[in-house]
Amino acid sequence: MAPRPLTDARAARLGLAVAAVLVGAQVVVAAGWSLTHDDPTVLELTERCLTREKGLTIEDTTGDSVAQSARGGTLRTIVEGNLVTLSVAASQDEVERLRVGYAAGDPGQRLDVRGRYVALWLRDPSPTQRQATYDCAY
Amino acid sequence: MRTERTARNYWIAVVGVLAAEAALLVWNVMHYDWLRGYDAYANDQYAATLADEHRLPSADDSGVWHTPPLWFALVGLLRRAVIEHGWGPPQRPGQLVAAAAGLAVCILVLLLARELWPQRRPLHLLALVFAAASPALVRASAMYHPETLAVALAAGGVLIAVHALHTRWTIWSSLGAGVLLGLAGLTRAWALPVLGAVAVAACLDAVNRRRWMPLAVLVATSLALIAPWLLNEQLAHGSALAFNRPAPTESILARRSASFYLGPRALRAVEHPVTPLFRNELVPHLYADWWGDWALTWDGPPPPGPGQLLPPSVVSVRARQTVIGLIPSLLALGGIVALGLLAIARRSTAIGLLPLAALAVAAAFTLFAVSYPSTDGDTIKGTYLLMALPTASVAFGFVVDALRPRGGGGAVLASAAVALFVAVQLPFLIL
Repeated sequence: MAPRPLTDARAARLGLAVAAVLVGAQVVVAAGWSLTHDDPTVLELTERCLTREKGLTIEDTTGDSVAQSARGGTLRTIVEGNLVTLSVAASQDEVERLRVGYAAGDPGQRLDVRGRYVALWLRDPSPTQRQATYDCAY
Repeated sequence: MRTERTARNYWIAVVGVLAAEAALLVWNVMHYDWLRGYDAYANDQYAATLADEHRLPSADDSGVWHTPPLWFALVGLLRRAVIEHGWGPPQRPGQLVAAAAGLAVCILVLLLARELWPQRRPLHLLALVFAAASPALVRASAMYHPETLAVALAAGGVLIAVHALHTRWTIWSSLGAGVLLGLAGLTRAWALPVLGAVAVAACLDAVNRRRWMPLAVLVATSLALIAPWLLNEQLAHGSALAFNRPAPTESILARRSASFYLGPRALRAVEHPVTPLFRNELVPHLYADWWGDWALTWDGPPPPGPGQLLPPSVVSVRARQTVIGLIPSLLALGGIVALGLLAIARRSTAIGLLPLAALAVAAAFTLFAVSYPSTDGDTIKGTYLLMALPTASVAFGFVVDALRPRGGGGAVLASAAVALFVAVQLPFLIL
């Protein structure tokens, strides 16, 4: 029996099948990877940096409902003797929500909003104290 | 009567698409900050050095000294004229050259499709629309950058070669293809794999026909144009294909991690396709930059600093682009494979040249990206693969035309799908 001639439609279907296999392979690899790995979150990267590069001790945030509502998470640490509660927002709207949440307590210089990070210091921070948190921003 | 009406509608559609593309590209040039394009400042320094000092730039003069000089020579002359006459921003003519070349690429895609399948008008239009609505082409056409000129010249060379392979090589066609491909090589090194593919196809044809002179003319012409540049690079920088940084000394297999080849974060390309996510993961990085704007050089704010947030709309527009690109990419990839199968089955070097050229460009690009790893991912850009756009466009048109339902309903369905493909991209493509 003679082989079927390769019509345009058949070539197109075969080509699409090959392309689908290639794309499928990429999807399988990516799905397998995402099921077995978690990329570190911004909070985890920040925590790792503060611990490893700044030598600070990280604590869980307690008793701060504003920080604990941050979708990116929150942590506490002491920088040069000054306690800071760092919250990570997931959007600009959330940054604003956190800022307003803290503003009711009239924090003045103790509240430092920078990008996705909202930091509430126990006392007005010095430039070097602020810089330590800026250095660990992701 | 019906045939006449169909022909008229076809030409109305062709002219309409090209006019709309021309308007889009010029509009974007007028609204795009030239400095946001790739290597824009270094490109300007190169053009200024050539025009004002009549010499090639050194590494101190321009970071893109390794790029061939044709576009810079042309733009340098225009730049000087604009400055002398006070006509406006000196970089604007360079952007307009890029836009004109972008439009030329669309026309050449149409002509390529017509050359291969003269009777299949829907295929021509599908290929044309795919090229015209490719975000990588639209973005590159607004930049102060040589990429689109190189693609246009190479596509012109491929068109002549396809015609010659379809009919018969003559000395004039060899000369024409050789000159265009040589000039393309003098514009961007990405044209060299295309030249190689044309030479291979011409060689196969010469073996079949036992006529070697056209091949000799093709190769001699292109080499005569490119060789002085390559020789200069070899003598001045130690490599004919020198780049602006030395390659690492380690084995080429050790230069990239497994994630470069496997693209483990590929699924995130449809959700957050911007820097720094999946940086240096070849497929998702390239895909996101082709359909969107991974490096944030288009209409949004520049990449944010550490800790800073991007406006959500910047991410969502690019995420929409990557979703839009899924089916067209699958169809284009399938089409490239289909053209390869068809070329083998029908022993057609004319059809085979297109997938061969795309394969050569993809292989050269991958080799380059592996050879020169960079931490910021700047050796992976969607526009680097524009040399493969003519093939991808024709391949897309071929697959859709071959598989679309026949009859009036099928035509309406295909037209509606294509119109939707373009319409949903417009907010991103128009600056």
